[in-house]
Amino acid sequence: MLGIEDCLAEVMAIPGALDAVLIDQTSGMAVATGGGGRHTDAEKSAAGLSEILRATLDGLAVASPGGTIRIRDMIITTDDGHHLLRPLETVFDGPLVIHVRLDLNRSNLALARHRLQALSDCLITT
Amino acid sequence: MQSVENILRGLADDRATGSLRLGKAGTFYLTDGRVTYAESTAAPRVEDLLTASRRISAHAVRQARQAATEGRWGGEQLVDKGVLTRGELEFCVLNAVLDAAYFLCGATGHRPRFRPGELHWLGPQWYFEVTGLFRECKRRKARLDETWPSAELDALPVVPLGRITAQRVVLTPLQWEVLVGADSATPPADLAQKLGRPAYSVLLAVRQLASSGLLRMPESEPGAVPAAPARPAKPAVTSGPSAPGMPAAPDPPAPLATPQPPDTPDLLPKRTRGDTKIPDAGATSSGSSDWLPAATGDPTDLNLLIRLRNALEALT
Repeated sequence: MLGIEDCLAEVMAIPGALDAVLIDQTSGMAVATGGGGRHTDAEKSAAGLSEILRATLDGLAVASPGGTIRIRDMIITTDDGHHLLRPLETVFDGPLVIHVRLDLNRSNLALARHRLQALSDCLITT
Repeated sequence: MQSVENILRGLADDRATGSLRLGKAGTFYLTDGRVTYAESTAAPRVEDLLTASRRISAHAVRQARQAATEGRWGGEQLVDKGVLTRGELEFCVLNAVLDAAYFLCGATGHRPRFRPGELHWLGPQWYFEVTGLFRECKRRKARLDETWPSAELDALPVVPLGRITAQRVVLTPLQWEVLVGADSATPPADLAQKLGRPAYSVLLAVRQLASSGLLRMPESEPGAVPAAPARPAKPAVTSGPSAPGMPAAPDPPAPLATPQPPDTPDLLPKRTRGDTKIPDAGATSSGSSDWLPAATGDPTDLNLLIRLRNALEALT
């Protein structure tokens, strides 16, 4: 049983986590942020990230045979690190999206995915 | 009159705790100068969102509300019951507050009244700085406008087009809900209530659907063709009988004669009847032609003719 702030604290405890943000996908709003924040503007990155997810969903929906799509998580690896995006379906509105940026060398992608999965189950029960 | 924003800023500076009621529009609740809850008549409340999700019965919400006390707020009771997690409650409150605040920001013509000490039964679940709240409202407004810049659909019933020109459409789940829930009579705000979704999200979905060309526009769009002639047609038809009807009103036999051709619709026979009966009703000085003479007497008709002539001249 986790609150939003606790959840982000837990996300930041994932080995190699640099910063994290919780996004309301519908409005593109940063609900809460964890760690870092020195280089990034939470609002702008929330808007950008929800746009990434939207574009990916649209693109994949068209590309997949059924025309419908459900993303469990999304990993984008850049020169500097990994971006892990995980949409959480909520019963009210949403989805909520957890985004965490991981250090390229210090992080373990499989572990991070696993932890994010466990955390999202604590935050939202569907 | 002071704007909502200024009043709230003042209360925030005083670190006030209590409720700010904005007439019938809705209420803000503050705790130590931060907004902890807001409700607007234009947006579903937290309890509406909770019960619409089928996670919690209306009865359980009522129970939690009645049992809420200063130390143990309704929100904590719901979480303790295990019907929803702390995170879900926070997110639900967050959504409902931002949603209500969006509609309260623009509220005008109310008489604000602050009641110190009054709190919402859910208790403080999420804290909003007044500045942040209004910044978010502005961002949401901008987002609506960049999706679809016109507010013309915001208050009109949502009418999905029967046929669309696109070859493939990608919808979000909320857009789907809006389309399925739209009955061509419900405006977005009522649709949000019906679906149990935040009113802003529904409004955004409606604008997105409009920008994808899936909704009937009030006018000008091809989809409006069945509606567009219907609307001007009615005034045109009513003005038709009334204009000649004014001079024709004194003679009662004319209306009695109308039922004679029953095959044709009600509005058309009047004209054909007028054609044939005009010589009959020649007493009304409309001897020479059918309806032109009736127009000459009326100054409004004269004006209309002059405007018509001007318009025709302008065309050539």
